[in-house]
Amino acid sequence: MQNPIVHRELISLLRQRRTVVMQCLLAVCFVLLIAIRWPTEPRMALSGLRSQEVFRLFAYGLLAALLLILPVAPATSIVRERTRGTLAMLLNSPLGPVQIYGGKFLATVGLAMQMLLLSLPAAAACYALGGIYPMDVISTYLILILTVLLVTSMGLLVSTYSVTSDSAVRWTFGFVLSISVIATLPHYLMLGTGGLTGTAISWMRAMSPITAMMSLHGAADLGAAGMTTTENVVLRFCGLAILATAVQSLWAISRLNFSLFDSARDTGMIVDDQSLGVRSVRRAVFIVDPKRRSGYIGPLTNPVMVKEFRCRKFGRLHWLLRLIAVCGIISLALTILTTTQTVSWDVAGVGGIMVVLQVALIVLITPSLAAGLIATERETGGWVLLQSTKLSVWQIVWGKLLSVVLTLGLVLLATLPGYLVMVAIDPNQWGQVKRVAICLLMTALFVMLCSAAVGSLFRKTVTATSCAYAVVLTVCAAPLLFWLGRGAPFGHRTVEAALIVNPIAAGFSVIRVPGFTEYDLVPGNWWFLGGASIVCLLLLIWQTHRVSRPQ
Amino acid sequence: MIRNLVKKYGDYTALDDLSLTLSKGQILGLIGPNGAGKTTTIKVLVGLSRPTSGTATISGVDCVNESKRIKQLVGYMPDKFGSYDNMRVREYLDFFGSAFQIPRSKRIGRIEEVMEMTGVTYMRDRYVDALSHGMAQKVGIARILLHDPEVLILDEPANGLDPQARIEMRDLLLQLARIGKTLLVTSHILPELSRICDQIAILTNGKLRACGTVKEIGRQVSQQRTVEVQLADEGSLSVAANIIKEIIPQEDVTESPAEAVIRFRTNRSEDALVQVLAALVKASIPVSQFRELQTDLEEAFMSFARSQKEVERAPSIAKAEA
Repeated sequence: MQNPIVHRELISLLRQRRTVVMQCLLAVCFVLLIAIRWPTEPRMALSGLRSQEVFRLFAYGLLAALLLILPVAPATSIVRERTRGTLAMLLNSPLGPVQIYGGKFLATVGLAMQMLLLSLPAAAACYALGGIYPMDVISTYLILILTVLLVTSMGLLVSTYSVTSDSAVRWTFGFVLSISVIATLPHYLMLGTGGLTGTAISWMRAMSPITAMMSLHGAADLGAAGMTTTENVVLRFCGLAILATAVQSLWAISRLNFSLFDSARDTGMIVDDQSLGVRSVRRAVFIVDPKRRSGYIGPLTNPVMVKEFRCRKFGRLHWLLRLIAVCGIISLALTILTTTQTVSWDVAGVGGIMVVLQVALIVLITPSLAAGLIATERETGGWVLLQSTKLSVWQIVWGKLLSVVLTLGLVLLATLPGYLVMVAIDPNQWGQVKRVAICLLMTALFVMLCSAAVGSLFRKTVTATSCAYAVVLTVCAAPLLFWLGRGAPFGHRTVEAALIVNPIAAGFSVIRVPGFTEYDLVPGNWWFLGGASIVCLLLLIWQTHRVSRPQ
Repeated sequence: MIRNLVKKYGDYTALDDLSLTLSKGQILGLIGPNGAGKTTTIKVLVGLSRPTSGTATISGVDCVNESKRIKQLVGYMPDKFGSYDNMRVREYLDFFGSAFQIPRSKRIGRIEEVMEMTGVTYMRDRYVDALSHGMAQKVGIARILLHDPEVLILDEPANGLDPQARIEMRDLLLQLARIGKTLLVTSHILPELSRICDQIAILTNGKLRACGTVKEIGRQVSQQRTVEVQLADEGSLSVAANIIKEIIPQEDVTESPAEAVIRFRTNRSEDALVQVLAALVKASIPVSQFRELQTDLEEAFMSFARSQKEVERAPSIAKAEA
């Protein structure tokens, strides 16, 4: 602990009361997990199936917790120092970039390791139940530790590039989701592909810690339509994680110098004042030039909505066009996929992929758009300025929500043509597609209102964004853990009750994805999402009213 | 007009029976140490805080119950700028103009007008989050002028500005007063306030300690005035000092040979001073200037802050002695 950064970031954190409370809660959770599944009958099966089931669930739960909670700490670590002005002081101290990076890396890893250490007694209890080999326990923890290293180095690298803490959190969650889930999709989309493409796809899939964990616990080829893979995914993941950690760390260290501050203030170049040639080239590149002089806010337009679009980086028209273009390309790819693969995969298989992609898009984009609606204004002092204008609180909230609704609407519309092709191929699918569209709309509405409501409870954008992501990802990912434990240890009714809150599962059940056909989730899921959306809306209104009333 | 304003947060009294009046077109400087109640006063005036008791009105409009009308009457610039990312100065002003429901056709011209008035036209295309502090303060003033309010309330407008920016800010505030705006300004930079304010109010611990012009406050601080007599040469310095001591004995008279100046503090009337000047002239003392020195605002402020500290310390000393 010679490194003062480790001392400041880890030891100080561990001394806080809330850290102690969280540790105790975590320990209680692990104890409960084992206590619930501890055998009560005098006789038990020698196969150790029961302890395997518990241990599997335990491992997936730990991995999910790491992927959901851990990214926030490294993502904000460097950028927060930069915005507070303390990074310049650190760089001006005798500490070198390696020590600064090392301190931050060790602090985050130390915190995660402590969480893993707390889980060891529960793992030992599973082992004591029998049916689990020491190698299983060691391999599971190896995957978890390497995931910690991978996510930490990734978060720290993103942090060196970010200007604000909330953008760092957003990008880190985006990258974590990409390596964990999206990296596995090509494998399922192009099953059986050989040659160089096939090798690349299998290596890409091995980057995901989820794939490694599934491979270790015997669910490696879930959804692979009977095709099994022979490569050692765990070994590949270990190699790739170590390599990626090393590369990301060196990359981040190379960025920790005064070049981070060596930039002039933006002089606000405007393209209207440039020559015709420059304007033409920029028009060809951007279509809608971000540097052009924008128009004045028109009548009957909510000024808060326009302001939200203008001051949000991705709200500018050229970015929206790019986003829609990307969604359009994805949609086109899905359409081609639907047309060419429906015969071999059936509509449900393709529909399942489309649902995953669309929900992933909603879950990734929406919290970053909606979580900071109120928190950012409060943090920057804009809320007081808005209050001193003639705008009512409801106009402000409506304008802010409208900016999210329009962006989400455009994104969702751009991904819908794939479904239309499915209906054209098989008109009987029209009913299912309608129900999927309702699922997506309900999901978008819920995620938006949930993010906005959770975000409004905080004063700082980064906390608001992190908590909104954590809540939304918990709703969308945690119930799937019950589905992984379907049959054993969880019965049909338990799994169905857990899945009823999950928008992805509802979409899967509607489109008849294998594994979800036996669960009747609609309209129960719609009722839940609708009810939860109303609660979130009321919470948002109450909180906005609370922060805007005179003290 | 503020009358008997009281604001309590639990047991803590932020404003204690505060009463203030400001006439149209005047500049009132509100000064006081940190936690004196300056920002609380401002928040009550702009409708962001409800007083525990008392009233606050602007142009006859109640600040507490008629917040919509107050928004039209008042332009409020808080100490925090309230920047937005990726937004240019003109877009920023356009947004607030639209938020004040200024019609588009009128807004376009008004934005140009306020930018011209505050000298920010050249930075119209700059991003607001990339502005220097001085530039941001000017844009902040342009923002509050958009809806043409009668009263401008500025919380620490000169805070953190360099000398050049401070002079520009001072000129801007004087210009606004000249066009008929009523200004309420808080500041820690006291010389700035003494130069621009028609009235000064000193607050400590939520109480109004003094109110009036700088000169009046100076008198409230100390009943003794300092008078300076500037001679043409230092030769007759001691003769002049003796004449003064004869007319007003028991007063503190100091000589400064290097400056050829005599200073004395007195609580005598104007007649006594006339007598002194007449005696000096009669004795053929070459007097080039005879003037009363204004009490420095800083000195006045420190005097109130000191007396407040003494009041606070008194009970603890009494307790310790007991």
